[in-house]
Amino acid sequence: MTLSTTATAEHIYATGLRNQWHPVVPSDFVAPGAMRKVTALGEQWLLFRRSDGALSMLADRCPHRGAPLSLGKHLGDRVACWYHGVEVETDGTVSSVPGLPGCNLEGKKLVTSLPVREAAGAILAYFGDEAHPEPAELTLPDPLTDPEVEPILCYAEWNVPWRYAMENLLDPMHGAFLHHESHTMYDGDTTAKFRIRETHRGYFFEKTDQRGVNFDWVELCRTGIDWVDLTIPYPPSAGPGGAFGIVGAACPVDAERTGVFFWRYRRVQGWQRDTWRFLYKTLIEKRHWEVLEQDRVMLEAMPADADQGENLYQHDLGVVRLRRLYRAQAESQSAAADG
Amino acid sequence: MTTAPWPYLDTHQSRTHEPTPYEHKLAATLEEVFTKDGHELADVIRGLNSRQVHAPDGAPWTEESFRAEMHRLGA
Repeated sequence: MTLSTTATAEHIYATGLRNQWHPVVPSDFVAPGAMRKVTALGEQWLLFRRSDGALSMLADRCPHRGAPLSLGKHLGDRVACWYHGVEVETDGTVSSVPGLPGCNLEGKKLVTSLPVREAAGAILAYFGDEAHPEPAELTLPDPLTDPEVEPILCYAEWNVPWRYAMENLLDPMHGAFLHHESHTMYDGDTTAKFRIRETHRGYFFEKTDQRGVNFDWVELCRTGIDWVDLTIPYPPSAGPGGAFGIVGAACPVDAERTGVFFWRYRRVQGWQRDTWRFLYKTLIEKRHWEVLEQDRVMLEAMPADADQGENLYQHDLGVVRLRRLYRAQAESQSAAADG
Repeated sequence: MTTAPWPYLDTHQSRTHEPTPYEHKLAATLEEVFTKDGHELADVIRGLNSRQVHAPDGAPWTEESFRAEMHRLGA
């Protein structure tokens, strides 16, 4: 059974919120005609792509004896379990039980199949629990769908709880310290006052006294998928187009691991777009990577109980707000089972 | 099935090939031009040509040849 409604609030808080969309892996991790095993929200899944590109996501568990379907055979439009040959269609229906044709498993939808979408080079899936199998309305991050904007995805896997990865994004002040020796975040004051500003889709956490100098604001957006938007100035060497933005999102893999998605984007067209992409591929991507590695090294070194016994100050309002929101949602998703 | 070692940590995810010496030099010079000469297309053409960094056919850059080359390299 996957994503049970009987999961405790602690389990949900540790392994990822349900009844919403999450990014899973980059699209090109699953070639046409291929399968890939992935872990997400603490469960095992099988990504299955037909040769025409159509993608599906199944619980990685044969409904017969529980063997991983990911060890099975790709049959074009079905997967056959290696253990006893049970065939499962992309919507989770058992189409054939070769050992006992006509047995009552055939024709039944016995494997969880998650709704999937692909956007800006990533696979997104809706992780509903048993009481909420129908996908929540999804509004994709606008920088990823705006034709005037050019996004480039960077994906990485970190040994950190998903919440720490999100909290890091709701903590702009770390930019002036952790990333001080970087090509983009060297500037700006190292003291600041922040405020929270509500939006129709989440909230801004922003400096009251500085804009456009460093990592000065971040918006948490909850649009069926949780993502953050932020911008960071580029030095003049990056050419025309001004600051670059980041759409950040996270896949809760399990209680200790996270897949992080960072789309670097810029409002550029024509030769400016082409030139930025050329510089990005040749020189800038590596510099961005080094900045991201600073985050990974710091977050992976945080003790497991880092969010216990802290002494927070004004800069942590964005983090506190995020934790309350996620904690409350984990509790309500767990309490829903009791109701 | 694709094997998936954890963790995936790949510095370069947007490249299709290791940049050639020509591409490296062109990119580095562009950064210098953007820093010292400006961000307009005319600044870029002038900046590249004055530094003797020419188009792949050896000719001085024109706006047209620069646009075409960036389109090829930035696709």
